[in-house]
Amino acid sequence: MANASWLLRRWEPLLLVLIVLAGAWSASLSPYYLNLDQLLDSSRNFVIPGLLAIGLVPVVLTGEIDLSLGSILAVGTILLAKLALLGVPLGLAVVALVLVGGALGLLNGVLVARFGLPSLAVTLGTMGAYRGIAFIIGSEEGYTDFGPGYLWLGETSLRAILPVALVFFVLVVLLFALLVHFTVFGRRLFAIGGSIEAARFTGLRVTQIKIQTYVLSGVLAALAALVWIGQYGSARADNADGVILLVITAVVLGGVDINGARGTVLGVTLSVLLLGTLTNGMGLANVPGPTQTVVFGSLLVLSVLISNVIRWRTT
Amino acid sequence: METAARMRAVPTEAGNRFAERALRLRVAGVLAFLLLLAIGFTSASPRFLTVGNARIIAFNAAILVIAAAAEALVVLTRNLDVSVGSVMGLAGYLAADLIARAPGLGFAVILVPLAIGALLGLLNGVLVAYGRVPSLVATLGTLSIYRGVTFIYARGQEVTSTKLPRWMLRGADAMVAGIPSLVIVAAVVVVILALLLDVRPRFRQLYAVGSNPQAAHFYGLRTKRVVLLAYVLAGFLAGLAGFLYAARVGTVTVILARGWEMSALAAVVIGGVSIQGGSGNLVGVALGAVVLATIDNGLVLLRVPEFWRMFIQGTAIVLAVSVDALIDGRIRRMLELRRAGRRL
Amino acid sequence: MSKKRVFASLMLATCLVPAGAASAAGKHYRLFMTPKWTGFPYFERAAAGAKAAAEELGDQFVYAGADHADVQLQVQTLQNFLAQKPNGIMLAAIDLNAVAPVLKQARSKGIVVTTFDADAATPARDFFANQMSYEQAAKTMLDCALLDAPEGGEVAFVAAAPTAPNHMAHIKYMKQFIETDPKYKVFKVVDTQFAQDDDAKSYDVAVNLMQAHPNLKVIISSSAVSAPAGARAIVATGKAGKVFSTGFALPSAIKGYLKDGSEKAFALWDPYELGYLAAWVTHMALDGKLSKTPGTKFTAGKIGQYTVGKDGEIVYGKALIFTPDNVDKYDF
Repeated sequence: MANASWLLRRWEPLLLVLIVLAGAWSASLSPYYLNLDQLLDSSRNFVIPGLLAIGLVPVVLTGEIDLSLGSILAVGTILLAKLALLGVPLGLAVVALVLVGGALGLLNGVLVARFGLPSLAVTLGTMGAYRGIAFIIGSEEGYTDFGPGYLWLGETSLRAILPVALVFFVLVVLLFALLVHFTVFGRRLFAIGGSIEAARFTGLRVTQIKIQTYVLSGVLAALAALVWIGQYGSARADNADGVILLVITAVVLGGVDINGARGTVLGVTLSVLLLGTLTNGMGLANVPGPTQTVVFGSLLVLSVLISNVIRWRTT
Repeated sequence: METAARMRAVPTEAGNRFAERALRLRVAGVLAFLLLLAIGFTSASPRFLTVGNARIIAFNAAILVIAAAAEALVVLTRNLDVSVGSVMGLAGYLAADLIARAPGLGFAVILVPLAIGALLGLLNGVLVAYGRVPSLVATLGTLSIYRGVTFIYARGQEVTSTKLPRWMLRGADAMVAGIPSLVIVAAVVVVILALLLDVRPRFRQLYAVGSNPQAAHFYGLRTKRVVLLAYVLAGFLAGLAGFLYAARVGTVTVILARGWEMSALAAVVIGGVSIQGGSGNLVGVALGAVVLATIDNGLVLLRVPEFWRMFIQGTAIVLAVSVDALIDGRIRRMLELRRAGRRL
Repeated sequence: MSKKRVFASLMLATCLVPAGAASAAGKHYRLFMTPKWTGFPYFERAAAGAKAAAEELGDQFVYAGADHADVQLQVQTLQNFLAQKPNGIMLAAIDLNAVAPVLKQARSKGIVVTTFDADAATPARDFFANQMSYEQAAKTMLDCALLDAPEGGEVAFVAAAPTAPNHMAHIKYMKQFIETDPKYKVFKVVDTQFAQDDDAKSYDVAVNLMQAHPNLKVIISSSAVSAPAGARAIVATGKAGKVFSTGFALPSAIKGYLKDGSEKAFALWDPYELGYLAAWVTHMALDGKLSKTPGTKFTAGKIGQYTVGKDGEIVYGKALIFTPDNVDKYDF
């Protein structure tokens, strides 16, 4: 069954092929590309958007969306900066981080699931409100003084070659893959995304489950903040402003249906890798940012168009 | 059976009256919020309630009104357009660059951003209506593509204001009978669109498609054409807004109007247009834009740091959506009661 | 895909300069430069100057950056530079601390880092080509303000961000001179606002300042984006002649305002020579021929003699003041 149309029908292998092609293209653009050190180091291009994208998957599977992830990350980085200034030890700081991220996600979840508000509009609002909170706490300053250990997750490489952040990302991917595809919780996500009424009739606590997905995405965004300060060595309230575009691109490109009930964690991981490869290759060739975004925008639109066309031809 | 009943329920006389009453209530709500803001700011700063200040608020809101009107048309059909800022940017930049190179074009140059905007909107519409790409995804893609094209065309260079013709810069600043010219343009746009939406069947179909696409389809409406129309019009208006913005700002960079889709969407949501489509009017949208401009203005007068605005805007959106959900819930319950009553 | 490859290769080619045939004694280096953002004539001109210096010295020159002033994007650009193993990096930093980690990494690899126009944290760079000392910059802007409003009045400052050390230093010294120097005592500082080197934001900030301070006389902008935007806002709100905008601006951007009388004076320096200086300094440092000892004198190619100051700061120092009489002399 290894003919072309079968390949096209399965999204993940297609992504894999695209990654290889992107790698080849990147290698042709710049002689600095094919270098193990460089390749592993370039994971910093995609770890943070990747974490956010993985966290977004359960939310999208239930048919909702969360636009506020970048803002939650910013609140996270500012929080860490302030805690570092107060001399709070890393362990406590991480606990606070997770609690705040979870709380912000909880608010999203409650507004969407409990009060039934449309998630697009609500998270559009919280995107602004949370970003505002980051600015209110952090003002327009940049923070670079962090305590011992704060920067470890984002800046360390094991044996000077394997970035810890990349390992962290892989762990999160495995965890979420397990959660979404091999647990009852995961199956319920697909059920809710398929039909809320049907899910309700089978006794699922839809409200609770949706809230849980939002808390998860909030926590993950907060943890991404810890990676951020290690990678950049600084925190500002405008951190990750606009990252949500890349994140949604990664999710949709990964084969997740924006209306819910379809998609895989593997697909999103592969699309994150694809976008990271392209970013890395184009960056090394000093291709200007806006040109890069044309590539990404086109990729996003074409991927959906092509999958639509395939679906029409095979039904 | 259920679907048929629901179809019948909405277009009835009683149902319409309820919807309209709720809508008027919603617009009244925005007005009330605006008045509240005005009272609050006036008591905090004596400089708020002056003619000069009102003029500034109107001036600042004018272009947003047009961009928000563009967004509203699309949202009415239960779709989104997040490429508004990029359309504004590309159309505005092209117009500025063209007139800088060929000043002889004169006023006719305004046709360029209008046509380009409509074309870009056409692409959006084709992707959404015919390509069946979800509107968030399609316009997210075109947001990047259009912005990137602007950069590539411009080769990254900006058009300095000294290269723009005087009539363009002066025109944007001009006043007619004490009212800024941009405000007049915005008002004209709103009035024309509001009338069209009220009277012309083609435009009323935007509502039908938005409130129940399947029903509209079964009813015989060419839903795809309607959505396409909404996007083309939105692009046209965004092109206009981009041109006016370029004229106002003077120095036209490749990042012109970046992020404007968010403000437009905020104005639309605050103005009472339901994000689920099918309800809302342009007066509300205009008021929504004025609310945003008022908040900005008040914060400046109160010497409140500018970034509080983000927080307040975001909260305003959440509040607006909550209020809408409340009203929507009430309407639905009323309609259920009516339907139940008729069956007895 | 081949079209994209050609395109990308073209973009690459436009950035690179083939190693020149003529060269002074010394090796050929790869010099990379990134501005605060590309497309702004000020930085484009600085890049042209740096490229000319590189050509004279036989070095390769690469110029790249984001299309708007974004801290993250600048850090990413620098990280991408690192992966391409340059010999020297020149930059105008948007946030002095945010770029410090990646610059320190660069220096640890033996790369010479030179900042120009906007400094980074001192331990993160080798040299800083400063257009003028902060005190001189402050005095120059105040002098322009005096030309606009000799009788004095309320003034407001516009800077890019609190993390822009040059702008903040300008403001500090301007405030100090207004307090202590009798010449400037006629001014009274009423506000400081930040506009992120963004045109639209600068315009709005200017409008807001005039709203909040009805007796405002002069808006002084350290940012060459904000000064012309302020002039524009003044004309748009009909306050030409009552409120003035001044500070640093490109002559091409404010020529119109000087000619139509709404403004009387702006200042700047030649960014071409500043870029030239930055590249020359970087090359000399790579050759090991430039010591950081304060007082060291050296000749930077065609643009004259300079002295290394404290902490590797090299002051270019040639201020230009533009008035309606002389603005036509300049073509940038």
